[in-house]
Amino acid sequence: MFDEQTLAQSQDLGEKRDAAYDKIVERFGNSAPPSAKAPKTHSGLPIKTAYFPHDVKDLKFSQIGAPGQYPFTRGNLAAQYQVMNWANQPVIGYGLPENTRERMDMLAAQGMIGYFGQKFYNLVYDLVSHEGLDPDHPSSRGRIGQCGMAVYSKADMAALFDGMPLDKMNVVHITYYQVLPALAQYIALAEDQGLSAGDLRGNSMNWYHQSAYVGMSAFPPANGHKLAVELIHYCAKHMPRWNTTNFFGYGVEEAGGTAVQEIGLMLAYGIDLVRSCVESGLSADDVLPRFGFQIAQANDFFEEVCKIRALRRIWATTMHEKFGAEDPRSMHVRIHTHTSGAVLTAQQPLVNLIRTTLHAFGAALSGVQAMEVSAYDEALAIPTEESATLALRVQQIIQEETNITSVSDPLAGSYYVESLTDQIANAALEFVERVEAQGGYIAAQQSGWIRREVEESAENWREMVNSGERKVVGMNCYETDDEAQQPIFKVDKEVERIAVERIQAHRAERDAGRYEAAMAEFRKAAEAFAKKDYADLGDGSLMETAIEAARADATTGEMMGVLKDALGWRAPHEY
Amino acid sequence: MNTEVQTGEPAPVMMADGRPIRVLLAKPTHDCHDRGVRLVARKFRDAGFEVIFANFLMADEVVTTAVEEDVQVIGVSSSSGGHMAVFEDLIAGLRDNDLDDVLLLGGGVIPVDDEKELKDWGVKAIFGPGTTAEDAIVMIHQQFM
Repeated sequence: MFDEQTLAQSQDLGEKRDAAYDKIVERFGNSAPPSAKAPKTHSGLPIKTAYFPHDVKDLKFSQIGAPGQYPFTRGNLAAQYQVMNWANQPVIGYGLPENTRERMDMLAAQGMIGYFGQKFYNLVYDLVSHEGLDPDHPSSRGRIGQCGMAVYSKADMAALFDGMPLDKMNVVHITYYQVLPALAQYIALAEDQGLSAGDLRGNSMNWYHQSAYVGMSAFPPANGHKLAVELIHYCAKHMPRWNTTNFFGYGVEEAGGTAVQEIGLMLAYGIDLVRSCVESGLSADDVLPRFGFQIAQANDFFEEVCKIRALRRIWATTMHEKFGAEDPRSMHVRIHTHTSGAVLTAQQPLVNLIRTTLHAFGAALSGVQAMEVSAYDEALAIPTEESATLALRVQQIIQEETNITSVSDPLAGSYYVESLTDQIANAALEFVERVEAQGGYIAAQQSGWIRREVEESAENWREMVNSGERKVVGMNCYETDDEAQQPIFKVDKEVERIAVERIQAHRAERDAGRYEAAMAEFRKAAEAFAKKDYADLGDGSLMETAIEAARADATTGEMMGVLKDALGWRAPHEY
Repeated sequence: MNTEVQTGEPAPVMMADGRPIRVLLAKPTHDCHDRGVRLVARKFRDAGFEVIFANFLMADEVVTTAVEEDVQVIGVSSSSGGHMAVFEDLIAGLRDNDLDDVLLLGGGVIPVDDEKELKDWGVKAIFGPGTTAEDAIVMIHQQFM
């Protein structure tokens, strides 16, 4: 990118500066912090204390390119926030369907908005649903409507979306493994509105690998993976506007993984998933345009920005070179940023607003497509109306007041940013090679290799916090003794009783004959599915029988029971 | 319920009667926030405790494991809510099995109001954000040595 004369000059000036720098540090002796001598990113990558043209001399301009041009380092599209601002996608969900609806309406009234003024809702299901159970299961007590909405059937969804035409909005269903029942119920509700599956817009999580990072019950990884491919098949045929899969990188960083591990693992899984889709008869260009990414934005400001740029580059080059993807949309990384919750503190909770603002600012500078900004009371409880509104305001301030939306990829060309982007990209590709050497992502999950890698990073982080090497304001420095007590949001205790009563009434009132028949067919399809190889997937029977079960008012717990029986369901330590 | 027993490299820490201190750390299966409790498990092991780590769906599974494994300490980690019901069932189950003397600890994200109530029920301490595994180790030492 630079001529020889410039590079020689850069080298010369750089060396002079480095010598002068070393002298200053030497003069400070032991009072200079260790980071002055050997600075590192939070991922542990070595960085310099100042950057020059010669630091990016091996980087080709074509690896940086232009916004909207392969390899998309600088963003997916030529026109970015100038014409289409990022979507506000705060996570919403607590209590009964009507409680969640109230919060949806409140935030919409406060200006929460999707692309081109559309309604966007990012809805999370509760802990009972995540476990694949119903609220009257004995383990559900205390968990109903907690951390998400108590929605277990088409009827609950009807209450949630009462009076809202489903084809006029975009809904993200934040599930764990109850992906298929939730989508089936949503499609069945759409049919009641006179719509078809193809009219729907939104996302399924379709992510069966959270158990790679944290201990929770799950389908065996290979079976979860097969379910993911099946759903992609169904959507490729029937739901062209539905985003099939959410690559949950956020879960990696929240579990303690580094930025490099986060994007490396997402690419490694992407390779496994596309490979399996191809084996099942789909092409890369059939499936890739409907993949999305949920990526964390944490504390190391430049590393987190460069991580996004690096991910775009290595995803595009890998999908193009390895799988022959040609459609630009197949090479785009569509990102929903979720600002890190794990780095927020219970101490001095209002201070979290400052952290989340920096996270959101970094995400905006890196050019993401949607954002959830964590509420400042994230470390304490479900956000209150006040904290949820303030989190939305963080996005709105950046969108409306800072003018950073006028210029795409504004940090491009910074020697540091380009050098660090390249460094992260290369480190992530090396990490992908290590995963591939384990036999690919699924094999590496199954053997516990991924968990060990991420856990080691988490422990390193904790040691650095404990030793004070990594500062956390309010926790290991600048503590205060007299903290005002923060008002805490609590789900109404009545929610539990009402949810249980409702589901029992729901079961008593439904057409038992239709329900039994539909569930028998669903069970048959699930058992047949369990025996299938990838090459046999795609006849649609699993999803179609699930939709019929949802039409017949089957609950999430009932449908998940069928899938657990057919595919296996293991507690974390059985892996 | 599925458990894994981890014994530490260092010499086991003995109680006054010469038995090693055995700790059961338990986490609900659908509470994915287990980064903290797994670190605590390792720290406890390094401190010489015998650690049993378990994920559970129902509180009575914790009671059964406590009986089978003959533990002196139970630590429940909860970061997604639902802890009150778990502790209520757990305490009742321990009483039914004559295990009232087990040291009961909590950790994770547990609001202050709940913490007060849990202490009234007999939970000895709640280790929330900002506390360290070492704080819990000190408490266990004080209790048994």
